[in-house]
Amino acid sequence: MSDKVQKGILNKLLLRTQHKSRLWAALVALCVGSTMLLVSVLIWWNFQELLYGNNQNESIASTYLIVGKKVTDQNMGMANATVFTPAEIDELKHAPQVQDVGVISANHFPVYASMGGKLAFATDMPLECVPDKFIDNMPDAWKWEPGNPNLPIIVSSQFLDIYNYVFAPSQGLPQLSQSSVKNIALNLEVGSDAGKERVTAHVVGFSDRIGSVLAPKSFIDYGNQKFGRPGSTDAVSQLIIKAKDPSDLKFTSYLKSHDYSTNSENLRWSRIRSVVEVVTSATGLLALLLLGIGTLVFILFIELTIAHARSSLTLLLEIGYSPAFLSSFMISRFMPMVIVTILLSMGLTCAVQVAASVAIKSEGLSLAALPGWPVWAALAINLLMLVALISRSIRRAISK
Amino acid sequence: MVLSLQGLIPVPLREKVMAGKSSIWNNSCVFRQGESVFVQAPSGTGKTTLIHILYGIRTDYEGSVKWEEKTLNIIPADALATLRKSDISVIFQDLRLFPELTTLENLEAKRRLTNSVSEPQVLEWLARLGIREKAHSLGRTLSYGEQQRVAIIRALLQPFSWLLMDEPFSHLDKANTARAIELITEVVQQRNAGMILADLDENNFFPYSQTVML
Repeated sequence: MSDKVQKGILNKLLLRTQHKSRLWAALVALCVGSTMLLVSVLIWWNFQELLYGNNQNESIASTYLIVGKKVTDQNMGMANATVFTPAEIDELKHAPQVQDVGVISANHFPVYASMGGKLAFATDMPLECVPDKFIDNMPDAWKWEPGNPNLPIIVSSQFLDIYNYVFAPSQGLPQLSQSSVKNIALNLEVGSDAGKERVTAHVVGFSDRIGSVLAPKSFIDYGNQKFGRPGSTDAVSQLIIKAKDPSDLKFTSYLKSHDYSTNSENLRWSRIRSVVEVVTSATGLLALLLLGIGTLVFILFIELTIAHARSSLTLLLEIGYSPAFLSSFMISRFMPMVIVTILLSMGLTCAVQVAASVAIKSEGLSLAALPGWPVWAALAINLLMLVALISRSIRRAISK
Repeated sequence: MVLSLQGLIPVPLREKVMAGKSSIWNNSCVFRQGESVFVQAPSGTGKTTLIHILYGIRTDYEGSVKWEEKTLNIIPADALATLRKSDISVIFQDLRLFPELTTLENLEAKRRLTNSVSEPQVLEWLARLGIREKAHSLGRTLSYGEQQRVAIIRALLQPFSWLLMDEPFSHLDKANTARAIELITEVVQQRNAGMILADLDENNFFPYSQTVML
């Protein structure tokens, strides 16, 4: 007879009362608990990746705020009262939650826009520029050099909404799509009467982040240098801030204490994000609870199996089998089931990740096709914890 | 391996032991390897209790039991298992076979622990004790006499320095008893082991080196 036969004898003696339905129920409980835990870690990790990890997900990774100094009854009309000093800009860079700060430069020279045809209009036009890294939906043709007669501009998508939903219906004008607006040419007259220059502006993109009309920085710098009033071009009255979590009380307190104003809608979105984080954490806690219950059910099943085999176990110990040997035997019988169950739950978690990465593409975001290291770490910890708990339970039950 | 008993008093029999006179209970005894000891024990004097105490199954006693330097009631569980596997073997009065296993499986469960006896040897011993044809019968279907012969063979399937026997032939007729005695004597001599046999009445199963009254 071989060791296989000895194991067969021990199987008969110790595992004969093992009810298959109970075993399956225990394994399913373990699998559900483990999968919930891994998926909750997966959700948390994906959320972190979307918010903070992946450049392709910049639009939701951080919140961009336009910050200015409040215009009050006391400071209105005062020269430079709402201008940021270099020290203030530097201080803001180190404020809580602030990841980056960009200067918004405005034109300090006259710009006059006009267009003929059915949509004929003529107006003075304010232009702004921000560092390129703060532009969402960066267009390919975003550059301008002196002498170039064509000027790319980016328009706030709110402008088009106002035109399409407010202005056009009231004036009996046709509504315009984004692509049709990109085909329109605007005539711009830049500068004072003496040295006026003309360029043709083309809308090359729309921004959800900036609420004005953007031109390349090279154009604003050129115009300010050539046509601007001396000294006025250095004044910075608006900043764009990239903030990790603007709903953070420390950040909002900072803005309030410095009398800075910003778009409160962005703060609300960040609060929603915080709520999602709380929900994710709550899911994790629930998953831990489920895993605990699953583990408990499985351990109780093992203890019940051992209790049913108590008389055989006692006799085996009496004829010379050691508790260590019998514990090893029982562990070798139950551990493969646990490992396969946990690997199955990891497989399910991988399937969830693949499905999530495919589904989220339609939202213009990206996720890795496989779970990240925190999920694998959770798997390893989960497995080690289960192996330790189950081994200990078996040893205790046999030594009783 | 020397067996030393010192002031041994089983707690449930305390009053009886203190009232009577025994060579073992509440006494000092030393048994040396190779000795054949007959413990004569009338009913109710604690014969089975003594065998169970010596084998480490019962711990409800005062005093000490030492196998060489190992004190039984403080020995770790795995060390006790080693002692039972390699040094002390036992034939229980109540036989203690696994009813759901066949004769051969009952014996293999023990033999596989040490592999000190070959499988053909087991089959030969079964034949010598007249139960070869019961090799594949379940333990629960064997008669007491057959179970007792299986229990005897099982006790011999390991290396040992001492063989403890509690009324080992109580279910056997004279012929089967003689065959069992012959087998036990042969194996005990091969292993140069000692034996302690506890029984109710005086007997000549083995040439005892000493007889003690319980």
